Amino acid sequence: MITPGEQEPEAAPLVRPYVITNGRGLPENDQFNLITLVTASERRPPSHYDPEKLRLLDLCGGGYLSVAEIAGHLGLPIGIVKVLLSDLSSDGYLVTRAPAPPAQLVDVSVLQEVLDGLQARFG
Amino acid sequence: MTQYIQDPALWALIVGTPLAATAIFRGRKARTQLVNEKTELQNRYTELESNYSASVQDAHTRAEEATKSALKSAMRTLQGLANEQQLAISKTQERYGEHHMLQDLLEIDHMNSQFGRRAQSIAVLCDGWLGRQRTVASVYDVVRSAKGRIRHYTRVEIRSQSNFAVVSRAVEPVALALAELLDNATSYSAPDSPIDITIRTVPKGVCIIIDDAGVGMNEEEKNRADELLSSKRASGVTGLGNPPQFGFAVIGVLAARYGFTVSVDSASPYGGVRAVVLLPEDLLTNMPEPEEPPVVAPSAARGRDEETPADPSTPGGLPKRRRKGSISIVPKADFTPGQGRSSEETASIMGAFQRGTQSGRSANPSREGHDLS
Repeated sequence: MITPGEQEPEAAPLVRPYVITNGRGLPENDQFNLITLVTASERRPPSHYDPEKLRLLDLCGGGYLSVAEIAGHLGLPIGIVKVLLSDLSSDGYLVTRAPAPPAQLVDVSVLQEVLDGLQARFG
Repeated sequence: MTQYIQDPALWALIVGTPLAATAIFRGRKARTQLVNEKTELQNRYTELESNYSASVQDAHTRAEEATKSALKSAMRTLQGLANEQQLAISKTQERYGEHHMLQDLLEIDHMNSQFGRRAQSIAVLCDGWLGRQRTVASVYDVVRSAKGRIRHYTRVEIRSQSNFAVVSRAVEPVALALAELLDNATSYSAPDSPIDITIRTVPKGVCIIIDDAGVGMNEEEKNRADELLSSKRASGVTGLGNPPQFGFAVIGVLAARYGFTVSVDSASPYGGVRAVVLLPEDLLTNMPEPEEPPVVAPSAARGRDEETPADPSTPGGLPKRRRKGSISIVPKADFTPGQGRSSEETASIMGAFQRGTQSGRSANPSREGHDLS
């Protein structure tokens, strides 16, 4: 029994994650990783969509959001979010973008040539 | 005359008559006494018999009570453990969300949910604890929660949604009753046949309709189900039959206690049973407002505070709720530049750009340029 002063234990979510994915396995292909960026496409989803999917589209409707952030906002395990994302993107409600590649260091000689050119032109 | 006097037969008659009379009289008396005694004995017997059945009934009730309280406390422990385990599984799922192990964790979660439901059902029959109180949840979520508590949940398809939510005290009981109905539906139909759930708003409330493609129920089964569901028969733990059938007994108790109705007397369009749960208006409420997950909210708010230092407040002095958007790392405005900026902003940006290029041209390149060597 919980006495009035005692902190009531935290509750697990009412709808379990395996119900949200309807028991499907996690997607095999690595279409999404933690830093893949996704945003909602122009297509409006049907209203009978799962609340989680609607919430996800609502979340990333404002711009690109990474998979890790979405999982954090939805409070769902990453794997489950990936299932939802792959459903949504195959239905065409989602646009994905690979993360920005890390900047490549340009060869010093190229920079030197550019500088020489600029100096020859304006110097 | 004298010959008569001398006749021994006459004498025998004279002596015998009173004797016979006395004997008859005594016999009658004894008979009456016996009859009385018999009635008395009969009364006594009836009394004893009723006493006996009363004490048997009494012993039965006491045994039932003892069984109930023993089971109740045992189930309380099991339910507590199942809840604790569910919480632990949830946390592990969060932690290994990206790992292949998640698949196994989901299966363990599913088994734990079924285990928890079994314990809950027995607890209901013992007038025990139903589980912790839930927050208000949409009818759709309650149905999905119920779906997750049975073994063959993937066969269950929810065809429609509703704009109503279930009040917090009824979330668990309704989910448990639905889970028992779904368990029956999946158990009494072919292993690969689907179970359809339709949610319909009716003038009296919300109907949740469960259709299976099973063999249906015969008259006897229907009558038994009706009795249990209308709670005409007080079924305790001992009246469940062998093997015990929990389903309808549990649903009947829950429906009576929380005031919803369940009927299973119609046939489904697929030939099986159609179960209809009617949630009356006082168990329904409006949809809860979607809340931001508590972990994310403070950081999002902090990020915003730099731009808008003071929270706007209502005339009553309470902080006004602001719609929290998501924090996007790449603004979408890149695609449609005019959308996010006002014309003044655009003008000032262009002006700054122009000033920058001009100052770049006028400055001495040897001082401004980067020396690479």
